[in-house]
Amino acid sequence: MILRRLRINSIKIAGERSFAIDQARGRLVLISAVFMLCYMVIAARVIDLTVIQGHLGHERTASLQDSHPSATAITRADVVDRNGVLLATTLKMASLYADPALITDAESTAKGLVKIFPSLSYGDTLQKLQSKKHFVWVQRNLTPHEQYAVLELGQPGLGFQRTDRRIYPQGELSSHLIGYTNVDNHGLAGIERSFDRFLGDGKPLTLTIDIRLQHALRREVQKAMSDFTAKAGVGVIMDVANGEVLAGVSLPDFDPHKAGAANSDAIFNRLSLGVYELGSMFKIFSTAALLETHGSPMSTTFDAREPLKAGRFTINDYHAQKRILTIPEVFMHSSNIGSALMGLEVGTKVLKDFYTDLGLLTPMEIEISEVGKPMVPDPWGDVSTMTASYGHGVATTPFQLTSAVSTIVNGGFFVKPKLILGADNDNKSDLRIVSPQTAESMRKLLRLVVSDGTGKNADVPGYSVGGKTGTAEKIGAKGYDRKRLISSFVGVFPMENPRYAVMVMVDEPKGNKESFGYATAGWVAAPAVARVVSSMGAILGIPVRAQNGVPEISASLKKYVRFEDE
Amino acid sequence: MAGAITIQSEKSFLRKVRQLNWGLMILICLVACIGFAALYSAAGGNFSPWASKQLIRFCVGAVIMIAIALTDIRFWYRLSWPCYIAGLVLLIAVEIMGHIGMGAQRWIDLGFMQLQPSEVMKIAVVMVLARYFHSATLEDMRSIRFLIVPCLIILTPVALVLLQPDLGTSLMIVMAGGAMFFIAGASLWIFGIAFAAAAASVPVTWHFLHDYQKQRVLTFLDPESDPLGSGYHITQSKIALGSGGMEGKGFLQGTQSHLNFLPEKQTDFIFTLWAEEWGLFGGLVLLGLFGLIFLYGLWIASRSRHHYGRYLALGLSVNFSLYVFINIAMVMGLIPVVGAPLPLVSYGGTAMLAVLVGFGLIMSCNVYRDSKVTRV
Repeated sequence: MILRRLRINSIKIAGERSFAIDQARGRLVLISAVFMLCYMVIAARVIDLTVIQGHLGHERTASLQDSHPSATAITRADVVDRNGVLLATTLKMASLYADPALITDAESTAKGLVKIFPSLSYGDTLQKLQSKKHFVWVQRNLTPHEQYAVLELGQPGLGFQRTDRRIYPQGELSSHLIGYTNVDNHGLAGIERSFDRFLGDGKPLTLTIDIRLQHALRREVQKAMSDFTAKAGVGVIMDVANGEVLAGVSLPDFDPHKAGAANSDAIFNRLSLGVYELGSMFKIFSTAALLETHGSPMSTTFDAREPLKAGRFTINDYHAQKRILTIPEVFMHSSNIGSALMGLEVGTKVLKDFYTDLGLLTPMEIEISEVGKPMVPDPWGDVSTMTASYGHGVATTPFQLTSAVSTIVNGGFFVKPKLILGADNDNKSDLRIVSPQTAESMRKLLRLVVSDGTGKNADVPGYSVGGKTGTAEKIGAKGYDRKRLISSFVGVFPMENPRYAVMVMVDEPKGNKESFGYATAGWVAAPAVARVVSSMGAILGIPVRAQNGVPEISASLKKYVRFEDE
Repeated sequence: MAGAITIQSEKSFLRKVRQLNWGLMILICLVACIGFAALYSAAGGNFSPWASKQLIRFCVGAVIMIAIALTDIRFWYRLSWPCYIAGLVLLIAVEIMGHIGMGAQRWIDLGFMQLQPSEVMKIAVVMVLARYFHSATLEDMRSIRFLIVPCLIILTPVALVLLQPDLGTSLMIVMAGGAMFFIAGASLWIFGIAFAAAAASVPVTWHFLHDYQKQRVLTFLDPESDPLGSGYHITQSKIALGSGGMEGKGFLQGTQSHLNFLPEKQTDFIFTLWAEEWGLFGGLVLLGLFGLIFLYGLWIASRSRHHYGRYLALGLSVNFSLYVFINIAMVMGLIPVVGAPLPLVSYGGTAMLAVLVGFGLIMSCNVYRDSKVTRV
């Protein structure tokens, strides 16, 4: 159509201009083609975001979440922790309204109401009672005592309406996991949201969390944050056998009764929605990849004498040893150079596949809908392989990291984070990711970090804690910022037969006098994990292991390690 | 060529009305209705505060659009330079007396509405370029000296808009202007030089960018690095889009948007809200409508017997599509956040008016496509 029109036009204009018209026609067609291509690119991106990338999230929302108001009178069901402690419940309350037309003496009624509810102002109340409407709310959610006092006023124009109110007896303690509801009792976040219809139908839920551990974890993450004047903190306790989340803390948190008043920083769920570059904790995965795919012996060496040039980066060691290191030495001193070389030896495709198998590169499956999408290098070349080996350039959620560590240490069986306690209490998955030998070696290496390496501050006598530090620089305006760190530690215990993984992450800690000005993971997160482990021992009654006579699990690795004082 | 305006045929009023592009108007109304629905939903199922005002603005704007369409194209031809000068004066005025909003000085408070001179400029630049190229010969288009003036026509407002600072709008003016150069037959090597100059100026521009603009570019390169900071918009927007899926969550059911996870949901991020609630189909339908409107504009451009109409309709259609691309690409994380509204859909008075005035001019090109427009 366009072309024909142009042709007709061009015939009408003769001579020298016909070339210009020809050209203009060609260019008009070209411009429309370019723009239509842009429309198609954008359409393709819409498809990509809504259907391809959003597929997982959508499936989850379709199956679990339903925000259609159900007009039933069923009371929203309770949520309890694994021991039956009440986490969320619904109370029947009375709300006070007035019919101004029936109010006999507005002034004395207003006075009486203000006396019962000090938060009301006399002027406002009087205005409400004298309005021309037939229904005004005076006060929502009265206590029985207040209700009695109102009845005592003997005012025929006042009435009560029964309302349901969602109550969280533990307050902010696990606000990010349980979530919250709006005034109409519809779930807006967390479990309350993903199981909105389920709970609304009156079916109670049992979570995997243990509120006692939640208390202890929140206390210690809070302490680490205030000791090091940090911006935010995260803590996870996980059962390594099945991925059950025993405790999960994201600080700052908020009062779920007043979620509307909380700021977005407090509402933000750092456990499952926040993705972070978690640094050297990723060496657990790159080392496991090497042991699993190459069967390399512990004596394999990596040259960490010189900083490693990789593209536009230079890889340095924080705890520089400046010598040739064995696998246990690379791990315990957290050598970036060594890990980068390991990554290269593993190979780009194999390492990427291994991370994928551990569930680190795709949005995790979990029973809440606040799920962050991991940040993955794209394209993933050899430089990315090197940085990803020590946890840079790859960002994941704290839940994902902890479950991947659980997968490595539990004997090699894949687990994913779980929040709902199933009927089959300890359903161990049978999907094997690493061999028992690799799992065994990794347990020894993790113990070595705590007994002799960067994680000494995480040690708790008698509990044989193993783990790995991770100190990552946050990205600032000019690339990585050495002053803004994310310091984290993932601990596992007891190392002989791991049962629990404990992860603590502190966002932007600042060094203090006790840490000699250091804000790194070994000083910030490792002690917090040690305190959590001590508390868990007491709360769960975990027997202490005899300390003398029994050899350390990491003892067999010491022959590969050169100690400074030798 | 020279001489006074010759009138080929005076059309009766009724004939002119018949010549209006009713198909285009239906498309515009459909898109605007999507906007009303989305704004109704953004307010949690309420006409106030956004949908009702937007509806009034659209109605007023539509009347203005039709009035413009029925006005002789030669009138607009003569008005090109005055519009442009007025736009420049307004742009300078915001520098001096505009009140500061959101860290960027972009508005003049007229009392009853806030006028955004950069919106006026987007149209005025197209008008004045169309007028300038109208009388250009092929030889003119090959000579650098001839092209200096249109370059200045583009760069003067761009410099002023950059001062505000409003990177998105300045880029749009440059791109729309570039498209007009292209269609008017400027040699390809001129574009080569322009690209090279632009590339060379990147480091300098970077130096002059405000911190928040640098942050946006960095965040775009790596959005998930700081999901709470400036990456927050994009991350939330992508989550919301993803959660919409194929069929969407249903009207008024968009949880991400309603929970205030999504900032600016009634203005820049309204596409996200729409696509979350109506899913892939809703998103594609809206995109398809935009595409049809663009094609309609090009069709009108190709039908015009005079260069002025051709360039004007093309420049304004390109302008419209750039709005669409920049906004949608932004909310989907394809380009950095630059703060551009979605035309006809986003809440906002000046933008709505500017877009409708633009369509008025495009339709005027159609109604008066056979007029002889000559230099005055």
